[in-house]
Amino acid sequence: MLRTKDQVLSLLEDALKRSKGDETELVYLEDRDSTTRFAENAIHQNMESTDARVIVRLVKDGRVAVSSTNDLTPTGIDAAMNDALQIGSFLEPDQSFPGLVSSPAAQSVPAFFRATDESSPLDRAGSVGKIAAAAKSQKVQIAGLFQTETQGMAVVNSRGTRQWYTETRAEFSVSASDDPTQGQGWAIGAARDLSKLDAVSVGSIAIDKAVRSRNPEALPAADYTVILEPAAVGQLLLFLGFLAFSGKSYAQGRGVLSGKIGQKVTGDNITIVEDPFLPGYPGMPFDYEGVPKQKVTLIENGIARGVVHDTRTAKMANAVSTGHALPADNARGPYPKNLVMSPGYATLTEMLASTPKGILITHFWYLNYLNPMKAQLTGSTRDGTFLIEDGKVTKPIANLRATPPVLEVLDRVDLIGRERAFYPQYSAMMYVPALKISLFPFVADTES
Amino acid sequence: MPDIEDIEKAGELVTHAKSKGLTYADFRAVRLTTEDVSLSDGKPDKIDRKVSLGFGVRALVDGAWGFASMPGCDPKLAKAALDKAILIARASASLVAAPATLSPLTPPRGTYATTVAKDPFAISLKDKVDFLRSLDAALRQTQGITGTETTLSFRREEKWFYSSEGAAVTQNIVHSGGGMVATAMRSRREVGERSFPTSGGQHQSGGYELIEAMKLDAACPRVASEAVALLDAPSVPAGTMTVILAGDLVSLQIHESIGHPLELDRVFGSERNFSGTSFATPEKRGSLKYGSEIVNVTSDPSAPGGLGSYGYDDEGVPARPVPLIKNGVLVDYLSSRETAARLGTTSSGAMRAETWQNLPLVRMPSILLSPGTGTLAQLIADTPQGILIATPSSWSIDDRRENFQLGGEIGWEIKDGKLGQIYKDPVYSGSTIEFWNSCDRIAGPEEFTIWGTPNCGKGQPGQNMRTGQGASPARFQNVKVGQTG
Repeated sequence: MLRTKDQVLSLLEDALKRSKGDETELVYLEDRDSTTRFAENAIHQNMESTDARVIVRLVKDGRVAVSSTNDLTPTGIDAAMNDALQIGSFLEPDQSFPGLVSSPAAQSVPAFFRATDESSPLDRAGSVGKIAAAAKSQKVQIAGLFQTETQGMAVVNSRGTRQWYTETRAEFSVSASDDPTQGQGWAIGAARDLSKLDAVSVGSIAIDKAVRSRNPEALPAADYTVILEPAAVGQLLLFLGFLAFSGKSYAQGRGVLSGKIGQKVTGDNITIVEDPFLPGYPGMPFDYEGVPKQKVTLIENGIARGVVHDTRTAKMANAVSTGHALPADNARGPYPKNLVMSPGYATLTEMLASTPKGILITHFWYLNYLNPMKAQLTGSTRDGTFLIEDGKVTKPIANLRATPPVLEVLDRVDLIGRERAFYPQYSAMMYVPALKISLFPFVADTES
Repeated sequence: MPDIEDIEKAGELVTHAKSKGLTYADFRAVRLTTEDVSLSDGKPDKIDRKVSLGFGVRALVDGAWGFASMPGCDPKLAKAALDKAILIARASASLVAAPATLSPLTPPRGTYATTVAKDPFAISLKDKVDFLRSLDAALRQTQGITGTETTLSFRREEKWFYSSEGAAVTQNIVHSGGGMVATAMRSRREVGERSFPTSGGQHQSGGYELIEAMKLDAACPRVASEAVALLDAPSVPAGTMTVILAGDLVSLQIHESIGHPLELDRVFGSERNFSGTSFATPEKRGSLKYGSEIVNVTSDPSAPGGLGSYGYDDEGVPARPVPLIKNGVLVDYLSSRETAARLGTTSSGAMRAETWQNLPLVRMPSILLSPGTGTLAQLIADTPQGILIATPSSWSIDDRRENFQLGGEIGWEIKDGKLGQIYKDPVYSGSTIEFWNSCDRIAGPEEFTIWGTPNCGKGQPGQNMRTGQGASPARFQNVKVGQTG
């Protein structure tokens, strides 16, 4: 890390003393991102990027303003605080602002690992080289990403909140392909501790899928039974995070769960929890307002139970903050970043065996809102889509465009996998099983 | 903040360095200043300013790339970053396919600045907030409006670029954007929403004069009444029909199904793991009938006004127009110096990074669809039956950029050359080549606008790029409409 806990807290506390605000919050974000990208069985992009910035939220006479800088000299931070003061002077008092909060120190979580922090470009190149060799032996090409990241974060405010946290994350994702036969495969692995991430195994899953998906056949668009692998389930869950579980849209009456807490919204077999303390991949233990995070049950046995809040949306909804604020320079509102779906009892083999006809889906591409009010999405399958006939995977099929209304399809889950996998996307982590779902809608094969 | 002398010193230090195996290096510093002002229901939702300064160094060693970036601009750190980039490049060299080569470039030495009539950062924040409040009030004059979002966004990007070949370029690029959304909500499932000038607002290069030219205040009554009308509008009936896309949807269509598939890095597979590849493979250059005869598309970062307009790309390549599709035929790609060399041509000047922290990638500059003739009204009058769709609300396209599904905020039935019934949530889908070949009329220059896309994602780690697509409304035949599953 560039700075230690003591250095950061000292920097911020000194700045707090100089603030001319009635209340001041300083959020420190530091990041070192080391990424090796590869394509055509070779490394084509390789980088290390570092940055640290401070986000100022300053309250003066009830006026709230935000500014940020990556000039972390006293002069730079003072300039940002003065900027916020000046911005605030143009505003009217913010009646909906609940005030900064005094929070106890959040519990410490094991999220920093030296093996990840000290990963070198040569280490990453070595792993990629092994997988590239395996790919060549199968006459496929690999492309992907091997990334390690170290982050430091602190929140201090004039109400006495002092939080500090460091984390590491390692991610390896790989696509394997054989363009002449349209064979495609993909797999992903993620861990806080790089030594727990078996990149070669991840690579071999992708290569195997590419080999098995050569020469796909077209399947007419219709409603099919599908088995979604964990990554595909994670993608649907990520969108529910935006559409259903954010306290902002909920409080505005526009969220998918607005007015539905306590009501049945999915099948009885679905339970989804926001769990920042998940063993194996714990998340940040406090939010960007310094509020310690809570585990929040979102859907329990099909019944909507809650959403996540920051202090502002909590005030709007007459609730308490669950510790899910995003940085103050973000207008999206709170968001769950550690979504966990409860497992079931089925193995993948059992899911397949119980399916007379269906589609096995690796993951989706370019999911986007189609009808946000219904939590309906549109996106195409990708990197290994297979036909299931009489309980077995029989052949690869061409990609299809799906238009799932997420809560509706979660009402038609026939089987849930007993194993779960971590699926990272954007800054969220999902821990999810495979699902077997009936009547999953498709509107086109991707050639039409 | 370090002064410009520090930046120049750092740039020279990096690009004059001698190191074993180092065949090329470049240094790019960026000072980015942004201001975002958003009101929700007339109250501040997001008002903040950001300042960020840093630099990135690329090194080509033994045919392989390394990149390192750091905040600030201390010349000592620049040397450390170069050493780091060389170390990373040597690791890359352990697994290269073919040594990277760069297409030739006469080292540019020059400056570029966006033409700005009114510096947006010199307009007081109070005036901006007051203006947005006036829009909120004007939208609420219409009965039934229950919510408003009004936004202004400004960005100044100061860039310094130096290369070991002798390039020395400085740029000062200014973007301004703004827009508004009116919402009429009766219940959670009964919502009418209209955006203006388009969803996410309109963004271009230029100063505050762009905001004034949008005439947001004058549009308030129409925008609000359309939002209310959408409350009771039916969904568009499913079918295959003639579709006229408003300019902002043509812009999105260009972005998704012409701009992205013609990025030469993804054509070569560099983005396979995330953004995907392209159906427009190199052997199709010069022969692929991409669109109908009237489809002419040019990459032109020198076009004034676009979010993808600049003087030089992030390899120092001067902006110039490059035809991509001529009379419907694919003729060229968006390229970098490395990808162009692989194709045996020269860079189109499309290499850009989100900011100093990021490696440049092949990104869309301003991509312009040549206008045809006539106004939108004449285009509608010339259409016996069909639908007019406006304002992007949904978009998705497969990883080879063939099958797409896009949607608009609003549609109007066209019957006997006149607009009729309003439809909510019109969605249409198709296949890229079939769709562009069905384009049978494009409106004229009087309807032409370079629409801004301020949030185009690509790369790993993800980079958010600002691109522009110039378009007039256009008509397409036999389009699948309304199929949502």
